[in-house]
Amino acid sequence: MNATRSIRGISLVVLIALSSGVVAAEKKMPAKPAPDAFKRLSDGHPDLNGVWENDGLSFINPQRGADGSVLCIVGCPQPKAADGAAAAAPPPRMAAPARPKYKEEFLAKVKDLNERQVKTDPALNCGNPGVPRIGPPAAIVQTPGQVVFLYSDLAGSFFRIIPTDGRPHRADAEDTYLGDSIGKWDGDTLVVEAVKIVDDTWLIDNGAFHSASLRVTERLRRVGDKLEYQATADDPQVLSEPWQMRTRTLRQSREPLAEPVACVEKDLAHMVDGSHHDNAR
Amino acid sequence: MSNVARRSAGSSLSAFYRVAAVSVGLLAGLQASAHHSVSGQFDVSKKIVLTGTVEKVDWVNPHIYVHLKVTDEKGASAVWALGTVPVAMARKAGVTKESLLAAGQTVKVTAYPARDGTQNLGFLIRIDYPDGHFVSVNPDRL
Repeated sequence: MNATRSIRGISLVVLIALSSGVVAAEKKMPAKPAPDAFKRLSDGHPDLNGVWENDGLSFINPQRGADGSVLCIVGCPQPKAADGAAAAAPPPRMAAPARPKYKEEFLAKVKDLNERQVKTDPALNCGNPGVPRIGPPAAIVQTPGQVVFLYSDLAGSFFRIIPTDGRPHRADAEDTYLGDSIGKWDGDTLVVEAVKIVDDTWLIDNGAFHSASLRVTERLRRVGDKLEYQATADDPQVLSEPWQMRTRTLRQSREPLAEPVACVEKDLAHMVDGSHHDNAR
Repeated sequence: MSNVARRSAGSSLSAFYRVAAVSVGLLAGLQASAHHSVSGQFDVSKKIVLTGTVEKVDWVNPHIYVHLKVTDEKGASAVWALGTVPVAMARKAGVTKESLLAAGQTVKVTAYPARDGTQNLGFLIRIDYPDGHFVSVNPDRL
């Protein structure tokens, strides 16, 4: 009974304190550390294992009929409201990402590549898009001292084996599409650095070429049941400042990682002009 | 123009479709897709309607291709190659290779024809099945 009265009394004091804007009393309460919303591996690092669903198709809003049959794949109008109000517009594509900023002397090259993108884009004909254009991994296999990134890309299946045991970049690594990568933990964030990336890939659409000096830093951080992915491209030879890709928030999927179907380009030979658009990436 | 049944689709489309399939569109894939405009390859100002059977589906990226066998009133037949969405988009919507094959049933396809004059080449924007259901694509949102 006394305890009940005490609780009521405390509640009254807190209520008064809040209502009067005095909340200092709350700060004296010992802060209880919030439990992780994610698992950790035996080495104490956050568990990044799993299949991670990209948000790249978030603008897809398929619609089904009453019988469950597919009515519309993409750009579907929303159903009319029960009161007969006009249907909402389909979800928009994501906003175009910020463009890399180039040194003055390379602006003409970017413009030319962009205008001729249908002929110049190395990824348009099923080519490996390279890092960072390939985006976040579709799945991660993590063990102490190593993480493996798996990609199920439009252009095919790709992987990166990334040591996290403190070793430096390989001195004898050749330039490749996905580069030579090493990882380290910055607190709970996995930081991956890739170098030696072939210079015939682009950072993003629309002529965003890079040089062989490109250095890409990716940061992966568990946020509850999601994974936040950031990538920054640093190429002081051609860029006037480092370029950061749009931050991606990945959702853990229970579906197995699907093997991509074959990439067989059939359209380019029939293109009449080079019109294209910005992809959100 | 090839000797296949071909007519303006405008009058035959449902109100739903007139809202759904409108303008110039662009192609994108799941992740690092390259992209070009549907209008760079296909004449989005013209809609053609083809009736036939799906002989083959190329379940490939960057775009699925549906091969539709069309026979005209004189008995002459042609196979149209009809590009459409990337596989990831179809999968997300629940469209499968089997559903596009339609078990050999006669289907009606609405498409944009090729701009470069290639015969029997188009971009599929709607397929109607005998049971009345259909699948549409709004190229403006691709």
